[in-house]
Amino acid sequence: MSHPPPLKAGERAFNLLLLLFSVGVFYEAYRISGFDLPNSAGAFPLLLGAIMIVTMVSILLGQRHHPRPAAGGVLGEWRQFLATHFPLPVVLFSLLAVGYLLALPALGFIAATALFLLVAQLCLRRGHWLSAVLVTVLITAVIYALFTLLFQVYLP
Amino acid sequence: MGDTLSFFLMSWLDPSLLILTAVGTLAGIYVGAIPGLSVTMATSILISFTFSWDVNDALALIVGIYTGGVYGGSRTAILLNIPGAPSSVATAFDGYPLAQQGEAGRAIGLSTVMSVIGGLLGTLVLASVSPFLADMALEFAPRDYFLIAALGLLLVGSLAAESLSRGIFAAALGAVIGLVGLDPVTADPRFTLGSMQLMGGIHYVVVMIGMFGVAEAFFQLHQLDTQPVRQKVDKILPSLSLVLKFLPLSIRTSLIGVIVGALPGTGGDIASLFAYDHAKRTVKKPSKPFGEGAYEGLVAPETANNAAVGGAYVPMLTLGMPGDAVTAIIIGALTIHGLNPGPMLMIETPYIFWFTVGNLVLANLFLLLFGLTGIKLFAKVVELPKAILIPLILVLCVVGTYSLNGSMTEVYWMLGFGLLGYFMKVFRFQMGPVILGVILGPLMDKSYRQAMASVGNDSAAFVSALFTHPLSLVLTLAVLFLLLGHSPLKRLLRREKAA
Repeated sequence: MSHPPPLKAGERAFNLLLLLFSVGVFYEAYRISGFDLPNSAGAFPLLLGAIMIVTMVSILLGQRHHPRPAAGGVLGEWRQFLATHFPLPVVLFSLLAVGYLLALPALGFIAATALFLLVAQLCLRRGHWLSAVLVTVLITAVIYALFTLLFQVYLP
Repeated sequence: MGDTLSFFLMSWLDPSLLILTAVGTLAGIYVGAIPGLSVTMATSILISFTFSWDVNDALALIVGIYTGGVYGGSRTAILLNIPGAPSSVATAFDGYPLAQQGEAGRAIGLSTVMSVIGGLLGTLVLASVSPFLADMALEFAPRDYFLIAALGLLLVGSLAAESLSRGIFAAALGAVIGLVGLDPVTADPRFTLGSMQLMGGIHYVVVMIGMFGVAEAFFQLHQLDTQPVRQKVDKILPSLSLVLKFLPLSIRTSLIGVIVGALPGTGGDIASLFAYDHAKRTVKKPSKPFGEGAYEGLVAPETANNAAVGGAYVPMLTLGMPGDAVTAIIIGALTIHGLNPGPMLMIETPYIFWFTVGNLVLANLFLLLFGLTGIKLFAKVVELPKAILIPLILVLCVVGTYSLNGSMTEVYWMLGFGLLGYFMKVFRFQMGPVILGVILGPLMDKSYRQAMASVGNDSAAFVSALFTHPLSLVLTLAVLFLLLGHSPLKRLLRREKAA
């Protein structure tokens, strides 16, 4: 008899979160117009909420025989989750992305973008500082020219 | 007839439309080829810039990008064994072995010619079938639209996702996102959580850019150090005898591509896998064993995925239903430009239909030109380091989202959807059903409520109508067949039979 493949680290927790979210969707849908007329504003959203709950329960039930992804209980799985899905480049890039969005209103598009591109390249591609500076200048200039002159869109 | 021809030739005779189609096709080839960039990502970012353009300009550019992008993935599949796009996964099965055997040039040449044949046949079917389908669609009742949309979501859920439950969940999540805001009929707030900013809804482009752009950028960070193995490229132009030899297979797989592409929700990725499977089953004596460099294994997916482009336009232009994620974006663009995708499009603005057909043919001709040239430059560009590409994707996503309404809040939303998309991808949920759900959700809501109102809010009469009208019956049976085909009940029956 073949054994089901192990779950990914954090998969069950993520699916449980989605189930909770689905219950929230159902509740919010109920708040629109309750179980009113079948063509009320809340009828279709209620149906969607119910579908989300049923499918997520079905997914979780289907996974009940799958082995845990890591030894060491919840803590071991949490460690594996961080190691698998949040390697250093992902953590660094996430922080840089948030920093970039926060810097945009303060520094303006050109300065924030140039800074973000430069730091991101230096973090992800260690040791290539000269090419990082050149690429940063080139990309920032091209994006600025392309979007302001050709597409004529407002930049942040 | 004269009008039809002039609409068809619009983009051929107008220099700016001609240039936009050419630029779109060339850019599409690179976008499709660079692993980490996708046609859906590119069109969702691009669409926000083109909202202020003339609709013809916007459509010409998008048609070019779509056509070029579906093809572009094949080049990296052949040269680097990395499919640049999901529609080229099957191309790598035999394309890369061919390159390893020193036939990279011939494989690229053949895949280009076959893509063009597939693309032209797909467009031919679009031009010949759509007017009849649009006429038929005028007779469709709201419940039929509801059923077609449900069928599309079920199809994409069952084919694109690992399990039907995951696919349906993703589609329902997308539909919920699509319904956020004030109800267009009663002005009741739906899923707004009391926030004024959510009253206007969440723009579908924000969701798309987040889920296809940012999520993919995060996902690519796991493969920062992947080094592709380069192949030497020799003679590119395939001989006429080689093309003629595979013509019957290419016609068959083009038909598969156009049919699969026309099913609401499916696209080139699924079409190419179906076509590859068809070639494996029907070609008894391939040039080499499948998986070891069979030309047939290259021809089948390449014709099918480009034929699926024409196919995807069929439900979009005749029913207002997206054939795949890219046509879902185009529907949004048409609506924003005041057009009405669906059966009325052919009556109210027939030029859009024939313009699109002519533009698709033109884009395929440009594909032939660009596909057979510029390989050396191409090889350099596609090897762009991920450390440059990934930050660039994020910058483009920010610019694309901000240009929609000039709102930083939408940019934050976009990043949020990107993170959600990243985790959903990590845990094997597909993005395709979410995006289709966002587009189809409001349409299903509207059709369902119209259908209910038409039977006086009588649920029993609504259910009865599903089984008493011929078209509704066929669609209902198709929905039930899909649902039951994946249900635990079927597995139980099969187990019992085996025992």
